Amino acid sequence: MNDFNVMLVDDEGEFLDTLVKRLKKRNLNALGVRSGEEALTTLKNNPVDVVVLDVKMPGMDGIETLKQIKKLCPLVEVIMLTGHANMEVAIEGMELGAFDYLMKPMEIDELLYKLQDAFKKKQLHESKIDSVEEELGPKR
Amino acid sequence: MAKILDFFRKIKKIAHRDELSSASAEELRNAFKARYHNFQLLLSANNKTLELMSEMEQALHGNQPFGMSFIRANCTAISVNVFRIIKNLDQLAPNKYKDLYERFRIIQEQINLVLSKKKQTQGEHLILPFSMVDKNLADQVGSKMANVGEVKNQLELRVPEGFVITSLGYERFFAHNDLQSEIDRRLQASEVEQLDQLYALSADIQQLIIRSTVPEDLETAIKEAYRALEKVSGAGCKVSMRSSALGEDAAGTSFAGQYRSQLNVSADNLIEAYKEIVASKYSLQAISYRLNRGILDEDVAMCVGCMVMVNAVAGGVTYSRNPLNIRDDSIFINSVWGLPKSVVDGSVASDLFVVSREEPLTIVRRDIKVKEHKFVCYPEEGVCRMDVTGDSHTRASLEDHQVMELADMALKLEEYYGGPQDIEWAVDPNGDIFVLQCRPLIQSEGTDKRFQTLDRLVVDGKVLLEGGATASPGVASGPVFVVTRNSDTLQFPRGAVLVIPQALPRAAALLNRAVAVITEQGSVAGHLANVAREFGVPAIFGIPHVTELLKSGDIVTVDADGLRVYEDRVESLLTKAQPKKNLMEGSQVYDILQEVMTWINPLHLLDPDSLDFKAKNCRTYHDITRFSHEKSVKEMFNFGSEHHFSERASKQLVCDVPMLWWVINLDDGFKEDVEGKFVQLDNIMSIPMLALWEGIVAVPWEGPPPVDAKGFMSVLLEATANPALDPSMPSPYANRNYFMVSKNFCSLSSRFGFHFCTIETLVGDRPNENYVSFQLKGGAADFQRRLRRASFVGSILEEFGFRAEIKEDGVFSRLEGYDQEYMKEKLKIVGYLIMHTRQLDMIMSNDASYHHHRAKLMNDIQTVVIGSPPEPSSGVHAE
Repeated sequence: MNDFNVMLVDDEGEFLDTLVKRLKKRNLNALGVRSGEEALTTLKNNPVDVVVLDVKMPGMDGIETLKQIKKLCPLVEVIMLTGHANMEVAIEGMELGAFDYLMKPMEIDELLYKLQDAFKKKQLHESKIDSVEEELGPKR
Repeated sequence: MAKILDFFRKIKKIAHRDELSSASAEELRNAFKARYHNFQLLLSANNKTLELMSEMEQALHGNQPFGMSFIRANCTAISVNVFRIIKNLDQLAPNKYKDLYERFRIIQEQINLVLSKKKQTQGEHLILPFSMVDKNLADQVGSKMANVGEVKNQLELRVPEGFVITSLGYERFFAHNDLQSEIDRRLQASEVEQLDQLYALSADIQQLIIRSTVPEDLETAIKEAYRALEKVSGAGCKVSMRSSALGEDAAGTSFAGQYRSQLNVSADNLIEAYKEIVASKYSLQAISYRLNRGILDEDVAMCVGCMVMVNAVAGGVTYSRNPLNIRDDSIFINSVWGLPKSVVDGSVASDLFVVSREEPLTIVRRDIKVKEHKFVCYPEEGVCRMDVTGDSHTRASLEDHQVMELADMALKLEEYYGGPQDIEWAVDPNGDIFVLQCRPLIQSEGTDKRFQTLDRLVVDGKVLLEGGATASPGVASGPVFVVTRNSDTLQFPRGAVLVIPQALPRAAALLNRAVAVITEQGSVAGHLANVAREFGVPAIFGIPHVTELLKSGDIVTVDADGLRVYEDRVESLLTKAQPKKNLMEGSQVYDILQEVMTWINPLHLLDPDSLDFKAKNCRTYHDITRFSHEKSVKEMFNFGSEHHFSERASKQLVCDVPMLWWVINLDDGFKEDVEGKFVQLDNIMSIPMLALWEGIVAVPWEGPPPVDAKGFMSVLLEATANPALDPSMPSPYANRNYFMVSKNFCSLSSRFGFHFCTIETLVGDRPNENYVSFQLKGGAADFQRRLRRASFVGSILEEFGFRAEIKEDGVFSRLEGYDQEYMKEKLKIVGYLIMHTRQLDMIMSNDASYHHHRAKLMNDIQTVVIGSPPEPSSGVHAE
């Protein structure tokens, strides 16, 4: 159930490292990057199913990163995870297609469930598209 | 993105085709899966929303303190989850309920408006000299410094020269380092209920502030103001720096004296001292105090007063009236050698002079203590504690004429301010008295009355200790917890009696947890006593060796009025104790939550059959949640029945319960797919459905209870008066029972004649997502009898751990967060109840019958339903 790829994006190094470690212990393929820019580069070269994205980062912020991710890989699900409870930013993120907006501190198991739900959504999306492609077959 | 949308459109088309190729059967299967997943996500967001709502509701009614970060985090989380509900519903039924987005936006804007009401900073000065300060500038310099200016400029009492670093200065400093958002983040990330976390948080934030840089313009302004002081008071003059916070006077609070002060600061350290005082806004006791009193963090701007240091020979605090007794108008003067510091922090016993205010003023009491230490200024910087030498430690620290001068001063200030005052002062080497600060005094109700009655009252408890002074009146009982080291404070349990050697201000952080306080030393004029009175925590100060005489864990009763500590609980005393007040109520933070809640909690869309049950009528988040949930269940149900897709069509359950049961498999609820119209029970994989079913068949139903003539008439009348209750009316659920199931999910909509019931439940491997929601509504008898049936069922559910709410003739109950086995047991009870409580409304006029049936039901549940579970297949056989 945990056999999928997660990328965590957070400028807070200590938090990032701990989280990656804890998710790996739960058999997830987790990798961490420190900025929005780095996230986009990584996305181009690595298989990623779900992104956990900090909202407030220096350089490219979370909302902008979300927009770019959705442009680049629309099927990748994005969970926003932040220490700043900001209702407007939260709703903006949701409107841009984020799967959920979570606040620190977060129980690791709860985050894991969210990741599983998001991954399942992505899978269902993909199988829909696969079967449509099959149906449309030679036309495409 | 467009490409994907295109795909979706095609899927929809395919999904609507009636004749299916095997490839499109696979698609439809996928479409079902996707829909079911959407439905699951909707339900999980729905549950989260309900949970958050009840948490916020609890905050309004409970005694737990909460801050803005609680409100902000919860409003954000609830908005996100309501949005998720709408989005998932929109995916189940594209565009059908799009009005919800509009409703959501309107509600969210209103909430945002409440949350973002911000105080405007007043004024344009980073620095204001005392000569320009009076009470009208309280929102620029804080009330403490506004008073100092007022006393100096209007009353013309002797006050040292100085200046204030204003609230604008504070905001410049915070904005320059973007401190507020970082602090908010850290506050949000901590469990403020955990003392050790709060402690770490406090240390962190203070470090953060101290490491920040003061912007250049502010630094220059401070240094210039200091140079101006040097011109008046001599080059290299030392200053005291004191906090003067904004926004704390609102609720009659007594915290002002609490933040850090720095005494005898030299020119070199002005900036460092400034930062340290600002940082003390986040001391442990200050954070917990604001939390407990519901004071907005961002409203508290720390202004800092900078005052030329008085090299005090003696100093102290005057109360213009007895702080402990509202009926006593004598003037109380507490005095020590050296700086007044040790009166305020309670570290040294102080002399007490009581002056009667009747003309001519007379000293009616002199209580001269042994003063072993005093605080004095170092020549270079800082203060030190020195032993008091010679005979002065037993000598009065004030001359009589100084006592009289102080009393006179107190009367003047009281008259000017029109209320009792708390005045800190110092006597310089020339014998001149300077006012250092002055603020309103909060008096306690007093104890005279209780005292008199108590003297005659024989208290039936064993007295362990006696003596000391009442620092805060009242009686309370709890286990002793002795705090001798700072680290002990982190283990302090809620509801304990705090026993501590000295009445140090930092112990104030424990007062929201302590039921009473006993100290060996400390002044009833000190800060800890003030806060204890404000929080209504009984306190006795000055029982020698109490930290050795009492042991942690001993249960005692503290009678702060009678100055006695009793062994164990003494009920006769405790019954007289005042209940602890909810300090949050009426605070700004409390008001904000209350206002926000008006957009979240009230439910207006109660009846799904009503014409008003529409998306555009949703006025609160709760409305949206309720509406969307109802519609999502309907959409799920319809999708299955609208498609001629045998696998997902409803199947009739083969069983010998004399009713029709239909089952729709949402996903993985069947062991294997079935063609045709029937499904056998042993093909059902749904964990929650099977548990429910066990309860349904546990005890055979004996048929409707015998009804008296009146009850029967009541049924007839109701049926003729209310055609909507006619069971022959067409309705998707009419007289049938529908299960929608997957392996871990089950929803049952059931209608037995006039009785409607809905069960929705998720039972899986994630305990925190497991839930049962059970609603029972309607009935055939008149409204009174239906009401009694509702409360009858509600009371049984509550007995088994459900939260049940009765609204009109409906019971709405929930239970969540337990593991599979526990949930299954509760589902059995629910299954049993839906079979055996229908038609009970008819006999609900009769008390004897009510109790008889309750006893029978409880007995069935205890012995048959959960006592010895029958075999899963019992009562059911295949056809």
